[in-house]
Amino acid sequence: MDIVLQQIVNAISLGGIYALLALGLAVVFSIVSLINFAHGELMTVAGYGMFFAAAVSLPFPVAVCAAVLFAVIAALLTERFAFRPMRKADATGLLLTSFAVSAILRVIFQNGISARPKPVPLPSGFAGVIDLGVLRIGIVPLLSIVMTALSLTALTLFLNRTTLGKAMRAAAEDFQVLRLMGIKANRVIAVAFAVSGALAGVAAVLWIAQRGSVDPLMGFVPVLKAFVAAVIGGLGSLTGAVAGGFALGILEVLFQAFLPDAALPFRDAFVLGFVILILIWRPDGLIPAPVARRS
Amino acid sequence: MLPWTGVPPRAWTSALLLIAGVGGLALAVSAMFGNTGINIATLALLQVAAVLALATFSGNSGIVSFGHSAFMGIGAYVFGVLAMPKAVQASALPNLPLWLQGHQLSLVAAMLVVIAVGIVVGILSGFPLAKLSTGSAAIGTLAFLIIIHVTLIGARDFTRGSQTFYGVPRLTTVYVAFIAAALFILIARILKETPLGLRLRAARENEVAAAASGVNVRMSRHMGWALSITLSVAVGALYGSFLGAFSPKDFYFDLIFTLIAMLIVGGMLTVSGAVAGTVLLAGVVQVLRQAETGVDIGGLHIPGVFGLPQLGMGLALLLTIWRRPLGLLGLSEIGPDWPRRKLEPMPGEMLHTAGGGASLEVDQVTMRFGGLVALDSISFTVPPRQVTGLIGPNGAGKTTLINIICGQTRPTSGHVIIGGRDVTGEAPNRMAVAGLGRTFQNIRLFDRMTALENVAVAALSKGHDAATARRVALAELGRLGLAARAGDLAGSFAYGDRRRLEIARALALEPKFLLLDEPAAGMNPAETDALIRVLETIRAEHEIGLLVVEHDMRLIMRLSDRMVVLNKGQKIAEGTPQEIRSNPAVIEAYIGTKRAKH
Repeated sequence: MDIVLQQIVNAISLGGIYALLALGLAVVFSIVSLINFAHGELMTVAGYGMFFAAAVSLPFPVAVCAAVLFAVIAALLTERFAFRPMRKADATGLLLTSFAVSAILRVIFQNGISARPKPVPLPSGFAGVIDLGVLRIGIVPLLSIVMTALSLTALTLFLNRTTLGKAMRAAAEDFQVLRLMGIKANRVIAVAFAVSGALAGVAAVLWIAQRGSVDPLMGFVPVLKAFVAAVIGGLGSLTGAVAGGFALGILEVLFQAFLPDAALPFRDAFVLGFVILILIWRPDGLIPAPVARRS
Repeated sequence: MLPWTGVPPRAWTSALLLIAGVGGLALAVSAMFGNTGINIATLALLQVAAVLALATFSGNSGIVSFGHSAFMGIGAYVFGVLAMPKAVQASALPNLPLWLQGHQLSLVAAMLVVIAVGIVVGILSGFPLAKLSTGSAAIGTLAFLIIIHVTLIGARDFTRGSQTFYGVPRLTTVYVAFIAAALFILIARILKETPLGLRLRAARENEVAAAASGVNVRMSRHMGWALSITLSVAVGALYGSFLGAFSPKDFYFDLIFTLIAMLIVGGMLTVSGAVAGTVLLAGVVQVLRQAETGVDIGGLHIPGVFGLPQLGMGLALLLTIWRRPLGLLGLSEIGPDWPRRKLEPMPGEMLHTAGGGASLEVDQVTMRFGGLVALDSISFTVPPRQVTGLIGPNGAGKTTLINIICGQTRPTSGHVIIGGRDVTGEAPNRMAVAGLGRTFQNIRLFDRMTALENVAVAALSKGHDAATARRVALAELGRLGLAARAGDLAGSFAYGDRRRLEIARALALEPKFLLLDEPAAGMNPAETDALIRVLETIRAEHEIGLLVVEHDMRLIMRLSDRMVVLNKGQKIAEGTPQEIRSNPAVIEAYIGTKRAKH
């Protein structure tokens, strides 16, 4: 019982990080059809934001804000200087643009900062465990779940209650019509990137809370997972991205728990193999994005 | 019939030119820089082959694959295990299962096994991939990259895990690499012109129109992928045998990034572009690799930048997408139009024109979207040799009905019957083969293919070989007055010509029925008159039934033998144009009642 609950907590906290990342990808994809490879580098930038904030001995909460801010700024900069000039490109062109941006940013991190991991000091309380009698939950997974829940709630409120948020949801459904309504395209797109940057920033904080350091390749693996999560959920669908993120987190924890020891090195292969089976069953994902189809 | 039957002769010329060019460059580099030069040339030739393996799928289908480098890894490891000398194998891979031990195969024998493995892997991995939409498929290939990478690292007994796999005999000489590059150039260049290549490219340009032209998009992608993966696995083996020692990370992101950059910079739509991009970037990377550790120019020391080749390729990629999205060479293959063998159009009497006298029946078709009834039990018949006009105000349900007839949507209930056969809900490509040709309201052509290729894609669906399909296509173009522009790209056509090209493509299906969705939309009166003449010719020459959906009353009244009027999902009238003109229900639907007007 104890172990089961423990694993559920792990699955939710890991799935939450994937969900935040996949959601960031989906927000941008639903509006500009960009599958953003450089999303991982936004995470890395956020990590360096924390590192720098800690280096000038700012308190931890400020460092967290700095991380999110760095990621938002980086997202806006990549949008302005890399993706906006390419707006006429097709989906493949945009995907390759982000692929190139991601590679270039990694080289810049390696040369400009360091190829080695940089430690990010975490508050001493992070190593602790909360004892709930039947259940002992680590502070980090708990924080992770709380932060994910807060971020998702904030985003839901933003998308449903504010004009800009509604414009973004409309843009995801049919961007051309939205433009005809007189909404400025550049503004909606910039906000979408800012939101995706903020989500990447939060995810980066949670990721670093588990490992305590940042390196140029930090964002790479989690964002690859987030791609997969976005596809499981249904590429471009916001609810789908969240569902896909949690589904992937649960799958990983399940396979980790139940695979025999000899097969553990192949865990990711099993998880992705299972994902491919899901996609054979539902090629458009679990919760497909609405498509405006005209003959 | 050989796969290359009907390939235009200039495709061979351009392939041979490319082979000669690549060979000449390799020779020059080898001669200039001695042993280092030979190494550089061998690597570049292998890269040409690897990029073309990728281009075989990505160039023709338009789906960028991130997985190909990992499939190369499969080839390298399989080759390594099979070709490794017994003694080395015993120390490097002590836990190798018995059935894999001590084969010590020759280059040719090992390659044959590798190719067989490639075919199996390609076909199996193609199943999920062919089902996914373009964007999801790209991420699907990424999943393959990770799966294979993780598996190679995990399979310690076979691959030494993440440690260096050594002792692979270095059998890939510069000659072997040249033969591979030459062979791959030939395969890639010829494939483009084969039925599979034409179908893949059509689906890349417009998936809906490709299906409406009888292309089984999924099956074409699956075949293209399997071929491309087989080539990748093969070249991976040669690459492994060139390296001699490698580890899984050699077949991971850096490699696929390099291959994609090479493909895109030159242009992924042409084989010439892929080859040119590879050669160019191979050169640039060599220079940057020298500069990576820092350079002294006239006493000035420029410090090295770690990852300079990556940076250079990234910038080249960005610059290409920004300034020349189609790559350096764009849409044209290099080489003269020689030897010129004039394509003879299929003689008119050889073209099948008879519709076979079958009827298209719409039988009590109902479509509900949630609570909304878009179509309410609609029935009518499109008889052969007649023009049936389908009209109705906006929102009447015309588009929904067309989508049902063409197989894009399955009706909630009811049937679509062609010549007595119930085809309800069959896929659009099956409908096309069953005898339903169509045009689209907003014209859908294969823009980056020639007019001839546009029409030939549809002709292939009737089972013609590539040569016959091209002749049929030329004849159909001739009938619509477009023969002189057969070699031009469809994207360069003016509006009226685009419409006629679309009709020619539909006719190349030798359909029993032709469905025209608002053919006069956006046309001026002169263009509309020309269109009416074309349609009247079609009616005279082909014994097919026409179903025309149109807003232009002048056109539809003049053209139709019978008309069906829809309003708000109901059939409100059916009859001759004269009857329809005076039908009170129709007048009310179009103009409103008197009371409504006041």
